[in-house]
Amino acid sequence: MRHGERRMVVLFLLPACLLYGVLFIYPVLSSLVFSLYEWDGFSQQRRYIGLGNFTRLLADPMFWTGLQHNLFLLAVPTVIVLVAALFFAAVLTGRLRGARFFRVVYFFPNIMSMVAITLLWFFIYNPNFGLLDGLLGAVTGSKVSTVWLDPNHIMGSLVAPIVWCSLGFYLVLFLAGMESIPTTYYDAARVDGANAWQQFRSITVPLMWDIITMAVVFLVIGGLRIFDLIFVMALGYPNEQSQVISTYLYEQAFNNANMGYGLAIAVVLFVLVFAATAIAMRLMRREQMEY
Amino acid sequence: MGKRRKERALGRLPGRVLLYALLVGYAGAVILPMGWLFYTSLKSNEEIFRSPWALPERPHWENFTYAWGRAHIGDYFANSLAITLVSVALILLVSAMAAYVLARFPFRGNRIIFYAFLAGLMVPMQLALVPLFFLVNSMRLLDTYTGVILVYIAYSLPFTIFVLAGFFRTLPHELAEAALIDGCTPSQAFWRVMLPIAKPGLVTAAIFNFLGIWNEYLFALVLISTESLRTLPLGLANLLMVTHYESNWGGLFAGLVIVMLPTLLAYALLQGQLTKGITAGALKG
Repeated sequence: MRHGERRMVVLFLLPACLLYGVLFIYPVLSSLVFSLYEWDGFSQQRRYIGLGNFTRLLADPMFWTGLQHNLFLLAVPTVIVLVAALFFAAVLTGRLRGARFFRVVYFFPNIMSMVAITLLWFFIYNPNFGLLDGLLGAVTGSKVSTVWLDPNHIMGSLVAPIVWCSLGFYLVLFLAGMESIPTTYYDAARVDGANAWQQFRSITVPLMWDIITMAVVFLVIGGLRIFDLIFVMALGYPNEQSQVISTYLYEQAFNNANMGYGLAIAVVLFVLVFAATAIAMRLMRREQMEY
Repeated sequence: MGKRRKERALGRLPGRVLLYALLVGYAGAVILPMGWLFYTSLKSNEEIFRSPWALPERPHWENFTYAWGRAHIGDYFANSLAITLVSVALILLVSAMAAYVLARFPFRGNRIIFYAFLAGLMVPMQLALVPLFFLVNSMRLLDTYTGVILVYIAYSLPFTIFVLAGFFRTLPHELAEAALIDGCTPSQAFWRVMLPIAKPGLVTAAIFNFLGIWNEYLFALVLISTESLRTLPLGLANLLMVTHYESNWGGLFAGLVIVMLPTLLAYALLQGQLTKGITAGALKG
């Protein structure tokens, strides 16, 4: 290296490495270590209990309920978002009047904060003055006051805001992918007499497989990490009707002062994110296509 | 890429009508709640409960003065703005420096450091949350702007370094070389020549980081407890919890409108940049 370069490399890397090391890597590593301890977080005493927190977690019904909710909230919205975003993207790549307008409108919810989105849907679902019951009332002609956030409806009701706030991002992603496919492929297919659906299935989807895989991974990770929507919708205290892993982590660590136990939940969440990513990539792996 | 596939588009008339119905239907699902939100924010509490549809008899602007003043949305707005602007500026600075040397100088350990940053993209922030609370506390930075800002910088590094390093790799080598020949030191070559050309990359990174931090909730929830320091997401969530007992719903609607207006405005100005950023990411990925 040239004179002065070594010094520059060190100086330029120092702030980033320092911040990242102290505030990111160190806390992550201490989570891994202290998940093996029993610890209330405030006293100095920590007791090493090996995998105790994890065995306790496996026997904790609330953990399994939370995990079930996570799985539901990653599976259902993922399928809906994928199908809808692919469909809308396919429609909007065509020469359609107003395509830009639709894209701009659909994308907007993606930049709102999750707290604002939650509040908006909290209003929409309100049984006394909500938009949804109001709409249903107008359609059926009688007063409707379904409590959409009650135990019977809440999981289903959570799907809509998730789809609503993420569809636009995947639409833009898929549009980018579709517009990079050479038109000659479609011309050739049309000459062979392929209809729109056949073209979509045998040209668009295979050539966009990497982007679709990426979308599935993002959606699955999002479904596992979900926190704001559940936490705010439940006014800070989710119960077994809507608890998910990360809200349970928060409750155990910060409300119940079970730090070690909370950390074990965090570690499990991390492992699940990792495993889900690996599984999704594995299931969706196929021969690379070049074009 | 030539011309778009035109005729492929939409087949015959019934199909066309159905397609438009679906497109307009979903656009309605986005626009309708917003419109409803805006005019409901001008209704009195009593009007809100009387009918979800009816327009207000007269606009109740006092909802907005309540939300902005008594409910402190104005203060939270200022807090969010200060925290977000400082964080984004520092993120760009720190990440650009690191990304530049990681992208262009093949020193020993380069790859390890780069991948260590990249690995951060895989880690859910919940994994660091609890120790971070105690760490920030022991640094006596709990409940301070500095504490949240430092944490925001640290957690934005993986994404920003990834984006900017990709960008610096595409810049021609000769530029920095020429600056060195003209008598610049290596770091002057960075500040005076390379950083200015990297502007498009910096803008993209700035927009995505701005959105992420402006909207961030979980870290703020754990690191800030004093009311006067709350960010907008914290303040809004708190207003919901309070309203549940005090029930000034008109005020809450107005609070949400105040939060959404600048987002709408920024979107109108920047949506092209945003979609371009995602598009570039998709095609590289």
